[in-house]
Amino acid sequence: MTVLILTCEQDVTADMVVAELDGNGVPVVRLDPADLPGPVALSGEYVRGGFHGHLSAGGRLVSMSGLRSVWVRRPGAPASNAAEPSDWLTEESAQALYGMLRSTDARWMNHPDAARRARHKPWQLSLAQRCGLPVPATLITTFPQAARDFADRFPDLVVKPVSGAHPQEPPRAVPTSRVAPDTDFAAVAFGPTLLQRRVVKRADIRLTCVGDQLFAARKPVAPDADPDEVDVRFATSDALWQPVDTPSSVAAGVRSYLREARLAFGAFDFAEDAEGMWWFLECNQSGQFGFVQIESGQRIAAAVADWLAAPVAPTAPGALPNGGRAWAMEGH
Amino acid sequence: MRPFALNYARPAQQLEVSVPYAYDSRLQLNVLPDGRLAAHDYAVLRELGSTTSTAGSKTHFDD
Repeated sequence: MTVLILTCEQDVTADMVVAELDGNGVPVVRLDPADLPGPVALSGEYVRGGFHGHLSAGGRLVSMSGLRSVWVRRPGAPASNAAEPSDWLTEESAQALYGMLRSTDARWMNHPDAARRARHKPWQLSLAQRCGLPVPATLITTFPQAARDFADRFPDLVVKPVSGAHPQEPPRAVPTSRVAPDTDFAAVAFGPTLLQRRVVKRADIRLTCVGDQLFAARKPVAPDADPDEVDVRFATSDALWQPVDTPSSVAAGVRSYLREARLAFGAFDFAEDAEGMWWFLECNQSGQFGFVQIESGQRIAAAVADWLAAPVAPTAPGALPNGGRAWAMEGH
Repeated sequence: MRPFALNYARPAQQLEVSVPYAYDSRLQLNVLPDGRLAAHDYAVLRELGSTTSTAGSKTHFDD
């Protein structure tokens, strides 16, 4: 049984997992959907009440019935490397590839439907609340007056993108940023704006979850750090990510979150306040973890490899065909 | 007419740096010029930021 990894060639974090799988003797096929059609090829037929499909990449041929798991890591858009790319060809290729993969019994990390839903930050905040994770007061609005009222109630605010995406024309990054007390909120009318009470943090927490295994890492904020440096991705700190125990209430909350979200993998960001409370910021359903492993020594890639390599459970009578069962975190 | 959040935008870091490794389709791994696996050279990965959160990435926003 083979592990299928959908990612781009430059993805060295995926390399960490491929190396683990290789070391364990687990067959792997790695491909980038961007290379379909061309270097990546597929075929599937639905005859006599059954489905039989094959994938080919890099000289490897694998039967879709021989897939034990699919890891959706950093795949390119299907057909984006085609000789004559087009939106139509991308849609055709996406439907063919992902449609056939949905026809298998493979386990997903993460299933595309779950991944799509999990990217919505407003939904994340709601789910985190339902799971008992502390969420800083947050407003998402296009009403300038609502923003002003919120700022009156919570004078120390940050702003961040609702989607987490960054504008590309021209390429810019929109880090989480402090909002000055005298800010003019008129421009809130020109785009949905996410305002959140700033957590005065003494550390950032990255909690990487693989199945039900939790890898919490902590990066302390220096006492003399610039209070305007809110976003750890842009901070100039020399501190390293170090392993830390996960409070039992947080562990229960994130496990509930992953179960509800039908995610097999999630990288949670928390801000630790002066009292030691972890405030939920977001859950990245395909978040990076290599940088945490490198600094903390936590064996996250090995855990991902173990999850992907777990045997496919036989389909129980009456079980959901494909999707539902594939999302579940069996084996851990 | 600029959305409020874009008042806080800054130029994206250009991540198009050249890397000292190349993808080997036979191994399905990136390999350094001396034949070692890039994934095992933490010093290189850390220096390049190859595995960090991809703030400003063109194609992915799963940081």
